[in-house]
Amino acid sequence: MNTFEHVTVTDGNEAVKLLSERGGAAGETKIIAGGTDLLTLMNASLIAPQRLVNLKAARALRYLRFAEDGALHIGALATLADLERDAGVARRLPILVESVRDAATPQLRAMATVAGNLLQRPRCWYFRGAPHCWLKGGAECFARDGENKYHAIFGASSCVAVHPSDLAPALLALDAELLINGPSGVRTLPLAAFFHEPTNDARIEHTLAPDEVITEIRVPGQPEGANGAYLKMMDRQAWAFALASAAAQLSVEDGVIQQARIVLGGVATVPWRATQAEDALTGQQLTPELARTAAEAALAGAAPLAHNGYKVPLARELVRRAILRAGSVPHP
Amino acid sequence: MPIRIITTHLEFEGQISEQRVVMEGEEPAVWGPEAELAVVGKVTPRVDGRERVTGSAQYAYDVQLPGMLVAAGLRSPHPHARIVRIDASRAETAPGVRAVYHHFNTGDLNNPSNDRPVFGDELLYQGDLVAVAIAETKEQAQDALALIAVEYEPLPFVVDQRAALAADAPKVSTTYEHNTIPEGFPQTYERGDLDAGFVQADVTVEAQLSTPTALHNSMETHGGVAQWDGRTLTIWSSTQDVYGVRRGVASALGLQQNQVRAIKQYMGGGFGNKFGAHHSGLVAAYAAYTLGRPVKYMLSREEENLAAGNRPETIQTYRIGAKKDGTLTAIEQHTIGNVGAIGSWFSPVAMATKELYQCANIRTVDEAARTNLGTQASFRAPGVVEGTAGLEVALDQLAAALGMDPLELRRKNYAERHQALDRPYSRKLLLEAYRLGAERIGWAERDHEERRYPQGRDGYLRRGIGMASQLWGGDGGPPAQAIAKLLPDGTAVILTGTQDIGTGTRTVLAQIAAEELGLPLEQVRVELGDTEFGVFSPPSGGSMTLASVGPAVRMAAAEARKELVEVVAQLSEAPTDALDVRDGHIFSRETGKEMGAIGSFLELLDGHEITAKGMRGPNAENMSVRTFGAQFAEVEVDIGTGRVRVLRIVAVHDCGRIVNPLTFSSQIEGGIIQGLGFALMEQRIVDQRLGAVLNANLENYKVPTIRDIPQIDIILLDQPNVHANTIGALGAGEPPIIPTPGAIANAVAHALGRPVKALPLTPDRVLDLLNS
Repeated sequence: MNTFEHVTVTDGNEAVKLLSERGGAAGETKIIAGGTDLLTLMNASLIAPQRLVNLKAARALRYLRFAEDGALHIGALATLADLERDAGVARRLPILVESVRDAATPQLRAMATVAGNLLQRPRCWYFRGAPHCWLKGGAECFARDGENKYHAIFGASSCVAVHPSDLAPALLALDAELLINGPSGVRTLPLAAFFHEPTNDARIEHTLAPDEVITEIRVPGQPEGANGAYLKMMDRQAWAFALASAAAQLSVEDGVIQQARIVLGGVATVPWRATQAEDALTGQQLTPELARTAAEAALAGAAPLAHNGYKVPLARELVRRAILRAGSVPHP
Repeated sequence: MPIRIITTHLEFEGQISEQRVVMEGEEPAVWGPEAELAVVGKVTPRVDGRERVTGSAQYAYDVQLPGMLVAAGLRSPHPHARIVRIDASRAETAPGVRAVYHHFNTGDLNNPSNDRPVFGDELLYQGDLVAVAIAETKEQAQDALALIAVEYEPLPFVVDQRAALAADAPKVSTTYEHNTIPEGFPQTYERGDLDAGFVQADVTVEAQLSTPTALHNSMETHGGVAQWDGRTLTIWSSTQDVYGVRRGVASALGLQQNQVRAIKQYMGGGFGNKFGAHHSGLVAAYAAYTLGRPVKYMLSREEENLAAGNRPETIQTYRIGAKKDGTLTAIEQHTIGNVGAIGSWFSPVAMATKELYQCANIRTVDEAARTNLGTQASFRAPGVVEGTAGLEVALDQLAAALGMDPLELRRKNYAERHQALDRPYSRKLLLEAYRLGAERIGWAERDHEERRYPQGRDGYLRRGIGMASQLWGGDGGPPAQAIAKLLPDGTAVILTGTQDIGTGTRTVLAQIAAEELGLPLEQVRVELGDTEFGVFSPPSGGSMTLASVGPAVRMAAAEARKELVEVVAQLSEAPTDALDVRDGHIFSRETGKEMGAIGSFLELLDGHEITAKGMRGPNAENMSVRTFGAQFAEVEVDIGTGRVRVLRIVAVHDCGRIVNPLTFSSQIEGGIIQGLGFALMEQRIVDQRLGAVLNANLENYKVPTIRDIPQIDIILLDQPNVHANTIGALGAGEPPIIPTPGAIANAVAHALGRPVKALPLTPDRVLDLLNS
């Protein structure tokens, strides 16, 4: 790890100011909040910021509150543990609690912030290890023809690492938006537009500019009869990133699905929205057969690599179960 | 005391060796089943539990000395390369840096455990040591590594074990003629007539099992802190063998053994790869000796997982023939193991095949491939964990082919004698273990519909029950010595050169001494883990500590008690046989009256201490003293997701007398948990094109978490083995890990109705199996 300057700020504007200084050189200054991902990147010398801006003292950014319109406002510094323990969230947005419950460990959930969770870099062992892979600016993605059991089955990026977040698929299924503070003020960005597959010109999984700070995550109010579920499969019973996960958020009226959101985790460089599955569900009576059909549709375009073919039946089964669970349909 | 030199035989991890033992005096008579014991056999919390849980226990990692320097290692990024040039000048002048060692300035530092330079110029695997920086702080040492300019000449490499054995494979080292262990490999064992055995067979099955490379992942990594005071080199080491560390450091530095003192007070885990000084200890010692300042070198987790040994991966294939009634007629086993860059031995993967079941016609062939990967090391029942899993998986497939109950098949082929050595076992309680275990797990209901399909046939859950047997040594042997001292206040100190590697050695030795001395446990202190006492004990490995050191402690205590009784008899003018020692007091046997505390007699003698020696006597001749056991596993598999949950393990092991049911149970639980990890999740992952280990960490090398751990039912047999030694106890370190993977694999195969061919049974593998 390199040596660095450590500056504490008490609000998001100060942080933006510091990020924009010195020409706003990418990576020169980094925000640190929970630090659960940032420090691992620094320890592995994947980044070497000259200055860390400590946002933890901006206590006003740590909150969870439901607005009049039923929207949930999540302060950027709210921790995963805050979400996990909030009774209102548990009652109104159970998918969020399910998504953080099996994330990491209690110790990590106590430190990790919601905004930081969305900004995590992939866990790919080539990216995190020594090889100078494509995502780090190199020529080749070593996972594509290498050891890729944890890697992507969807996507067009040259990178086949998967997005590590459990929370992101659930937030996407809820049509969440981000409030982002930058040099020219605050902007609102749908979470769906925040994530993007790494490209040659932007080898990163999101569109946040180096001089911007996420200040709030906003989850719109859900209609009556809405419910969601998040299911995650790991290769042990705790403390592992998802082999695959499925978030399903359904609003059902008189047994008919009005709106469906299906998002997969652990299958692409970004949380992967399965619109074909959503289309298969919308306007239909929820039955076990329909869930099966939608799950088939969710995995229709999957293109597994040499060692991750198992993710196709696995993700399909998780989608099927998540749909039935969200729709409260008893199922085996 | 008259001195006798006796020749005896030792069994250590499948190898039998001859040993000459010096005996002084006589061992006490064995504690048989009739012995009434007050302290031994009782549930006893660890005597050092408070230090461990409060954090005051000092591990090698915790040692901080005034002026101590810290080391950090630079490791090869290449699987095979020659070092052309090293320029360390920038590192050497960096802040805080006191030295940088590498091939071109420290090439003559030799590692006696493999007789190779610590800093070679040919790097044989990713993680091989290139250079070490010594600095005032750990951070300065680590920062210095980036300033060392190394020019590498990459060389061709091979990491796949089968590829390595091909005639045209790249050579793992330029000094090798071929990529196998030069002497004795392939290693073949034969008895009877294999072909005739298969001719007699009504049914023949072929089976295979691949097992992964497993990493020890002790909580505390290898390493130590060394200090040179001009006279003695002291090293606090994370080791299973303080005498081995002393020997290694002395040899590497050209010192006499008595100029080196090795200390190991508390241990953060030792599972077979911590016997010698290890290059981390040697570098710390060399630096301390050269720089005149204390030096600490503890490996990082990544260094540990690349360069501190492993359980080598195997590819095992079996062919087994049997008659219709299940009688085995032939077993053939072929194994390829990956022993890494400089592996010089291969673990006994065929031990179970040779010995576990009655069969006249056997052939086993072990091939050992060297590859450009970290070298293998002993790992808790090396070879036998893997081999037992393979054999037991194959036997279940035979049982299926015969339409026979798997447990019945094992009973049918029960071996009454040690077939490979053609001699009797001292005793064998395996049938009893089968009976008790089967009853507890509910073996008879194994195929009941509601048990196998907890959600019904339409559901996704399948349950299965499997079992496996265990065979291992654990009888230990000489030489092992102890000294017992009765102090003027009537308390006792036991001195031994063994070490407590976390198993509870300190506690059980205190129990044995307290029992024999007639003292309450809290009045006995056990000193161990320090070569300074000069009381030799063997390494803590091969499940041999208790069975080796325990009897020596008992004899020392018995001798001390004898001398105490003499002293009291003369002081009180009573015949010795009229005196009894209990609870720290002297009693008259005649009247039962208490005559006073031990200390009240000793303090009459103005500082006199009673000092007595004890030593472990020879092993029983012409019989094999073995531990046997069985484990039964019940698992639940979700066929939609591939998730395997172990619901329950029932463990029944005959390890002779149980000195402490609490520490014994901890050993059994630990072995089962480690075996569960091997069965379900642990595996080193290597990129074949890069020759790189991808998961030398605890994120992607997965060990079980508390949520993965099932209900563990331990059934204590607790019967002293009177042929083993004077305490009747055998080791319990390795037996519990041996049957766990096989039992789990067989339970999964039962649940799915498909043979298991590879471990670990990760979800991807289970799903692939279901979709195959």
